[in-house]
Amino acid sequence: MANQKTVLAAEARAKAGKGAARAIRRTGNVPAVIYGDNKEPVLISLSEKELTLAMRKKGFYTHLIDLSVDKDQHLVIARDVQVHPVSDRPEHVDFLRVSDKTVISVDVPVRVINEKSCPGLVKGGVLNVVHHEISVYCKATDIPEEFTVDLDGLDVGDNVHVSQLNLPAGVETVQTGDFTVITLVAPSALKSEEDAAAAAEGAEGEAAEGAEGEKAEAAEGEEEAKK
Amino acid sequence: MMSPKKMKYRKAHKGRIHGLATSGNYLAYGSYGMKALQPERITARQIEAARRAITRHIKRQGRLWIRMFPDVPVSTKPLEVRMGSGKGAPEYYVCRVKPGRIIFELDGVPRQIAEEAFTLASAKLPIKTRFVSRD
Repeated sequence: MANQKTVLAAEARAKAGKGAARAIRRTGNVPAVIYGDNKEPVLISLSEKELTLAMRKKGFYTHLIDLSVDKDQHLVIARDVQVHPVSDRPEHVDFLRVSDKTVISVDVPVRVINEKSCPGLVKGGVLNVVHHEISVYCKATDIPEEFTVDLDGLDVGDNVHVSQLNLPAGVETVQTGDFTVITLVAPSALKSEEDAAAAAEGAEGEAAEGAEGEKAEAAEGEEEAKK
Repeated sequence: MMSPKKMKYRKAHKGRIHGLATSGNYLAYGSYGMKALQPERITARQIEAARRAITRHIKRQGRLWIRMFPDVPVSTKPLEVRMGSGKGAPEYYVCRVKPGRIIFELDGVPRQIAEEAFTLASAKLPIKTRFVSRD
């Protein structure tokens, strides 16, 4: 369970809206909001540099954050970060205020281990991660750090489903059913070799037909030239 | 080369590319991606050249996703034909790409190989690009 907490400092901001938000961004800060837990939302701004450093660390979306706004303390979790499409700089952050009882849905990352001892990958298979993250319902204070998928003994064509992950107690997936998390697929090189073999067999039969077709096309071309 | 299977209209206006990519601007499938930094029309030929450069560098391992599709027909007039007499015949297809668009995604290869593959592919494209990853 993710017991690590990130510490961030912020300042309250007075105005909402496009103009005020842009003015804050010009000063090197990022506008943000804290909402949830049946309390009034609080408009804040925080340092872009500190926020970027926190975002680069693993688990920014799954670790609780101790956010100090002037003199108040808020226990929050980052729900959404709007980033610039080209520069990837953060433009706005949504923080959800949580308590010990809060149950939230959160995307927990999937980590793959034992890649070297996986026979499928050694053969040249490709690891296809269907879900890089799994959405789960859990207590805000008991968010799993990550889900580990062990590739040991898996061959090409094998799948790992969510039921094989051993979710901790109190954690259930948002998506119902036993969905696939990862698959081991044959690489395009292997597939194309099979296709080439199949095509070669087919081509032998079509060779005679193809030759006739080429003759017909050549004849049409000659006729057009005469005209 | 990629081209539409069927078209509603054979010919299209040239158009202009305004603004930034509001969709397709984050990694959806793979661990690594190539992000367009400039607006441009990318032809099916350029996409194919970039795809080949990537596929050959990764030695056909891993998995590649192409996140753009050339669906805009471009028409040209034949050589030595005077202006007028209507629009020319459709010649090739292009994709209008806005800055911020993820144009390729890659997975199943080490980071260094992915970076090298995208550098080679970027040389085939008429725009500046940037390497992006989930990490």
